[in-house]
Amino acid sequence: MSSVASILFNGISYGVLLFIMSVGLSVTMGMMNFVNLAQVSFSMLGGYVMVVAMQKFGVPFLWTLPLAFILVGVVSIVLERLLFRFFYGTDDLTQVLLTIGLVFMSIAIVTYFWGGTYQRVNMPEWLTGQQELGGFILERYRIFLVVVGGLLAFLLVFGLERTNFGAMVRACVDNRRAANACGLNTDLIFAVTFAVGGGLAGLGGAMSANLLGLDPNFPLRYLVYVLIVVSIGGMGTIGGSLIAALALGIADVAGKYYFPSIGGFFIYIVTVVVMLCRPLGLLGRRA
Amino acid sequence: MNTPTAYFEGLARWKPLEIVFWLVLVGLFFVPGVNLPLLSQIIIWGLFAMSLDLLLGYRGILTMGHAAFFGIGAYTAGYLGKFGWTEPISALFLAAAIAAAVGLLAGRLVRSLGGIALLMVTLGLNLILYDFVLRSTELTGGDDGLQGVVIGQVLGMFKFDLYGKTAYLYSLAVAFLMFLIARALVKSSFGLALLGARENIPRMIMLGAPVGKDVSAAFAIAAAMAGVAGALLTQTIQSVSPDALSFQRSADVLVILILGGTARLYGGFVGAFVFLFLRDWLAQLNPVYWYFWIGLLLVVVVAFFRKGIVPSLGVLFTRMQKKRGTDERTPNRAAL
Amino acid sequence: MRGFIRSLAIAALVAAVPASAQQETIRIGVLQSFSGMTSLNGQQSEAAIKLFMKKYGDTVGGKKIEYFTRDTTGPNPEVAKRLVQEAVTRERAQILIGPDFTPNMLAAAPIVTEAKVPAIINGAATSGTIGERTPYYARTFFAIPQLCRPLATYAVKNNWKRVFVVVADFAPGHDCEKQYLGALAEAGGTLVGNVRIPLKNPEFSSYMQRIRDAKPDAVYFFMPIGEMSIGVVRAFNESGLKAAGIKLTGAGDITDETYLDAIGDAALGAITAGIYSTTHDSKINKEFVSEYVAMNGKSPRIGWVAISTWDAMRLIYDGLAAQAGGKFDPDKFMAFVKGHSFESPRGPVTIDKGNGDIVQNVYIRRVEKINGVLQNVEFETFKAQPFK
Repeated sequence: MSSVASILFNGISYGVLLFIMSVGLSVTMGMMNFVNLAQVSFSMLGGYVMVVAMQKFGVPFLWTLPLAFILVGVVSIVLERLLFRFFYGTDDLTQVLLTIGLVFMSIAIVTYFWGGTYQRVNMPEWLTGQQELGGFILERYRIFLVVVGGLLAFLLVFGLERTNFGAMVRACVDNRRAANACGLNTDLIFAVTFAVGGGLAGLGGAMSANLLGLDPNFPLRYLVYVLIVVSIGGMGTIGGSLIAALALGIADVAGKYYFPSIGGFFIYIVTVVVMLCRPLGLLGRRA
Repeated sequence: MNTPTAYFEGLARWKPLEIVFWLVLVGLFFVPGVNLPLLSQIIIWGLFAMSLDLLLGYRGILTMGHAAFFGIGAYTAGYLGKFGWTEPISALFLAAAIAAAVGLLAGRLVRSLGGIALLMVTLGLNLILYDFVLRSTELTGGDDGLQGVVIGQVLGMFKFDLYGKTAYLYSLAVAFLMFLIARALVKSSFGLALLGARENIPRMIMLGAPVGKDVSAAFAIAAAMAGVAGALLTQTIQSVSPDALSFQRSADVLVILILGGTARLYGGFVGAFVFLFLRDWLAQLNPVYWYFWIGLLLVVVVAFFRKGIVPSLGVLFTRMQKKRGTDERTPNRAAL
Repeated sequence: MRGFIRSLAIAALVAAVPASAQQETIRIGVLQSFSGMTSLNGQQSEAAIKLFMKKYGDTVGGKKIEYFTRDTTGPNPEVAKRLVQEAVTRERAQILIGPDFTPNMLAAAPIVTEAKVPAIINGAATSGTIGERTPYYARTFFAIPQLCRPLATYAVKNNWKRVFVVVADFAPGHDCEKQYLGALAEAGGTLVGNVRIPLKNPEFSSYMQRIRDAKPDAVYFFMPIGEMSIGVVRAFNESGLKAAGIKLTGAGDITDETYLDAIGDAALGAITAGIYSTTHDSKINKEFVSEYVAMNGKSPRIGWVAISTWDAMRLIYDGLAAQAGGKFDPDKFMAFVKGHSFESPRGPVTIDKGNGDIVQNVYIRRVEKINGVLQNVEFETFKAQPFK
C-alpha cells in the first residue's frame, strides 16, 4: 500500500514539474498562436540564473526563484519586442524554425559563458532528505514542488482565465483589430503575456534543475516532453496543461514501476493515441 | 496551350537551368581535390529532402517523423548486407518497397490530422521506432549499430573505394532516377491534385478528388524515396546505426528543405548543399560553437528569405529578365 | 572548391621548396565529439594533446608533429566515417586519435585498413571491436568487461551478496549487465532484481521504489556519462535508500570527475570501479594533474578521455621515436605499439600484443571529501585486468 501511495505522490510531483516547465509555452501558443520552442531555452536560462545567484552572490534559494522569473521575463520581453512580434500571424512552420534556431544559439551562448559541464545545484538543508507526512515518508523537495506548483496553478487559472486581463488577452487573440478598436493596447497586452510566459519558463527551469540537472543541452533534452504536455493538454487551456502534466507524470512513474520493460515507450504511446483520438488535446477548444 | 495535353507538355518541358544543374553535379566529379565523401552525403540528404518535399511542399503535410522512413530503408539495406544479400541495387528496391508499405500505413493513420496533432503523432511514431531500435540490442545492435554489414560492388564491377568515387557516382545516378520519377509525378495530374489539396481541401473534395487517398499515396511515394536515400547511406558508409532514424535527422531534413525552398524539387538539393557545406566549414572553423552559426542561419533565413533559396533566386531571375524586357513568363511557371 | 584551391597552393609550395630540405611531418587527425551532449570529450582530448606537446615538444624521432581536430558530433557514423575518409585522403593524416563512440569506430575500420592509417581509440568501450575489426586499431580507453566485472567480485567478498543491478537500456548497458551478472554468479552472489532504464529518462523515483521493494545489500549502476549518472546517484540519496544502508556501487562513470561536483554530497560513500582517478597516488600522476590544471584551470575537472588521449600521445611519441631516422611506416608503428607497456598517470598500461586492446589496472574507489572537494579515492587494485 505504501508503495502505491509513494508512486502516486512521486508521479504527482513529477507532473507538477512538467506543468511548471510547459505552462509558459501553453500560454503563448494558445493565447497568442505563437509556437515558441525557445521557451525551453528560457527554462535553461532560469536554471542558470538560480545557480549563478546562489553560487556567485550567495542569494538564498527561495529568493532565486522570483529572481529567475523576473530576469527571464525581462529577457523574453526584449526578444519579443526585437524579434518575435514580427512573426505573429505567420504559419507554424516559420515559428518552429525561427525559435529552434534561437534554441541552437542559446546552447552555444550558454556554453561560451558557463562551459559545457553540468552545474552544481545545492539545495538548502531543509529541502533535502525526507519528511514524514501523515504516515508516509516523502522527499522534501517533492513536497516543496507540489506546494509551489499547486499555488502557481491556482494563480494562473484564476489570473489568466478568470480576470479582466485574461479576458483582454483572449479578446486580442480572437480578433485583434476589434480589440484594438475597443481601445485595448494590444501591443502592450501581447508583450506582457509574453513576459509572463517567459518568466514562468524561467521559474520552471530554476525549480527543475535540482531534479533534472543543468547543462547547455537542457533545452533539447526536455523540448519533446514540454511539447507533449502542451499538445495533450490542449493549447491555451491552463487547466488542460495541468491535467495533462499530472496524468503524464503519474502514468510515466507508474508505467516504469509496474512495467519497466516498456516504461520508456509509455509516454510516446500515450501521446500518439491521445492525438489520434483528440487532435485538439484533452481540453482543446476549436479555434 | 489550350488542350490538357499541351498544358502538361509545357509543364514537363526541361528548362536550361535544370540541365545545367545536373551537368554541374556530374562535372564536380572531375574537379581535382573536390570533397567527394561530403558531396555524396549532400546528394543523399538532397534526395531525402526531396522526398519530404513531396509531402510538405506539394501537399502541405508538416511531418516531424520523416527520418523513420529513412531509417527503415537504411536498416533494410543493412540487414540484407548482414545476411549475405550484398548486391546493392536490388537492395534499393527492397528498401523502397518496405518503406513504401510502412508509409502507406502511416499515411492512412494520419491523413485526417493537421497542425500540432499531425506534428505530434509523426514525432511520436518516429520516437517510438527510434526507442525500439535503440533498445533491441540483440536484434539491431542498438546504440553500437548493426554489425557485420557487407556491401558488394555496384553492377559487380565498382567497389566502394577509399576516395568515395564509386559512392558519389552511384548516389548521383540513383538520386537522378528518383528525381525523374518525382518530377514526372508532380508535373502530372496527381501532382496538380496534391497542390490543389494543399491550397484548398474543401474545394478539391467538391471537385470529387480523392483527397484522403492522395495523402496515403503521397506518403507511400515519399517514404519509398526516403527509404532509398537511407539505403544509399547504409551502402555508401557500409554501416548503419540508430542515428539513421533519430529525431535530429527529421528536424535537420526539415531545415534543409525550408532553407532550399519547398515545392521546387530542387530546393532539397540546394538546401542540402548549403546546409552541409556550411556545417562542415563552421565545424572546422570552430568545432565547439558552430551550433550558434547554424542557429543564426536559421533565424536569418526565416526572417529574410522565408521562401527559401531556390524561390528567392527565382524571383531575382524573373526581375532581371523583366529589366531586359524579355519577360517570357508563362502561366505554368508558378507550378515548376 | 576550397580544397581545389588549397591543393593548387600546396602544389606551388612543394614546387618552390627543394624536397631534400623538408623534414617529414606527421599529421595526426583528432576525431572527437566537440559539440552537443558530449562536447567535453573533444575539449579534454585537445587539452591533453596541447599539454603533451608543450611538455615533450612538437618533434619526435626527427619528425615534426601536427594535429588537426574534427567534430564527429557524437555517435554518428555518417559524419564520422566521412571525416575519417577526408582525414586520410585530403588532410593526409598518417595517424588518428579516435574516432570516439563504438558505431563511429566500427564504420571507420575498413578505411583505416585500406589506407593503412593507425588509429588510437580513446573513447569507445564495446569489447571485441579492436583487433577483431582491423589490425590498425589500438585502444587506450577501456573495454566494458574491465569496468564491469571487478565490482561483482568485490561486493561478494565484502558480504554484499544480494545485489540489485540497474543499467541504462542501450548496447553498452546490456554488455555490462551480462559481464556483471557473469562475475556475480562466479563469485556466488545473488541477483535480487534488475531493471533497465531508458536512455532519455528524467525521473528515477519508480526505479528507486523497485530497489526499495527488493531490499538488496547493494545496488550496482551502469549509466552513460552525463545526466543519467547524476540523476541516479542523486535519486538514490533523495529517496532515502542510502540512509537505509543499501550500498551504492557502480561503474566509475556514475561518479566521473567532470560532474562529480554537480552530483554533490549525494555521491559521498559511493563505491565504483574505475581506470583513473586524479588522486591516484604516483609521482607521474601528481605531475600530470598539476600541469594539466596549470594549463587548463580547475574546471572542467580531468575526465577519462583526457587521460586516454594523453596515453594515446604517449603511444604515438614512443612509436615514432622507435623508428627515428626512417620514413614513417604504419605497419612498423603498429608492430611497436602492440605489446608496448608504459607507466601512465593512471598506473601501468599494456597494449595487448595480439589484439591491440588495452590491459590495465582497475581500481575500486570510494567518494570522499578531501579538502572540501569530492574525490574518487582508490583503495583496492585489481591488477592487469583483461579486455575480454
